[in-house]
Amino acid sequence: MSTEDNPTPRPDRDEEEAQVPAQEWVAQRPATGRQRLRAGLWPPRVTRAQLIVALLLFVLGLGLAIQVRSNSDDSALRGARQEDLVRILDELDDRTQRLEDEKQELDDQKTELENSSDQAEEARKQTLEKERQLGVLAGTVAAQGPGITLTITDPHSTVEADMLLDAIQELRAAGAEAIQINDVRVVADTYFLDSGGGVQVDGKKVTAPYRFEVIGKPQDLEPALNIPGGVVQTLEEERAVVTVTRSQKIVVDALRPAKQPDYAQSSPR
Amino acid sequence: MIAVLGLVVGVVVGLLVRPEVPAVVEPYLPIAVVAALDAVFGGLRAMLDGIFVDKVFVVSFLSNVVVAALIVFLGDKLGVGAQLSTGVVVVFGIRIFSNAAAIRRHVFRA
Repeated sequence: MSTEDNPTPRPDRDEEEAQVPAQEWVAQRPATGRQRLRAGLWPPRVTRAQLIVALLLFVLGLGLAIQVRSNSDDSALRGARQEDLVRILDELDDRTQRLEDEKQELDDQKTELENSSDQAEEARKQTLEKERQLGVLAGTVAAQGPGITLTITDPHSTVEADMLLDAIQELRAAGAEAIQINDVRVVADTYFLDSGGGVQVDGKKVTAPYRFEVIGKPQDLEPALNIPGGVVQTLEEERAVVTVTRSQKIVVDALRPAKQPDYAQSSPR
Repeated sequence: MIAVLGLVVGVVVGLLVRPEVPAVVEPYLPIAVVAALDAVFGGLRAMLDGIFVDKVFVVSFLSNVVVAALIVFLGDKLGVGAQLSTGVVVVFGIRIFSNAAAIRRHVFRA
């Protein structure tokens, strides 16, 4: 087939080229393969042989292009055989299994991390809450809540530091949580000093009327002040005018700077 | 010349139109293409030898394609399709090489 071993090619050929004048044909008759190739390529002649070969080559080119196309950009699986497909499927199953395992592992890790970060978040929240509570006690943050307002007006300048201190002690004993006098926050180490025409609270001069903002349970605080022989009575004996009003919203917003201890450091236990 | 044009047009049409090949024919297309290539090289060599006959070319082209597809089909039925395809490709490859060598001798005289 490849060599086209046809024993009688001549008669066909001669018939084909019959239109060409005889002497010209003889003169043009190619002797070598190279000349034959050139003669076949140029000039183009519309012969039956050329047309048939063109048709078959067209089919070949079509098949070639389709095959190349489907091989290159379509999925490589299109032309694959059954056993190849089975093998590929097996490999994919293995791979899926491996990836599933990996996913499971990573999911576990994620859950673990989430739990631990939840715990850390919880601890952080508790610490924050504690810091706020301690801040209220230490006077470094503002506080608000139910409580009472105690106002002492002192028309005869008879109120002294120890009376204010008594009032503070009484309020603390009754469960006061945050106290301020005028614009001074009262904390654990607050001290009172008499000074001309008023009282020094923590070194700050405070003058009448003394206005106590106290956060605590109003039902406890008010009776504590009003008991016979208590703060209110003592002050009224000194001719001061005392008023106590309950309120559902007392704001204690005088602040004290947080002091960093120089020597003491927090210890874990 | 027209034959070469036919090949070029075929490739272009195949790339542009992108026809859907029926699934039944699909496994045989590559083998058929290789067989057709063998026929084309054979025809080219015959042309250079001066013994080209279009009828023989047509018959050899078609029979090459059909026989190649048949072998692969049979191989698939017997369960040795992959091996037989390889065998067919090898055989056609060898023939294409020998034809190409003959063509080379004609064209380059070497």
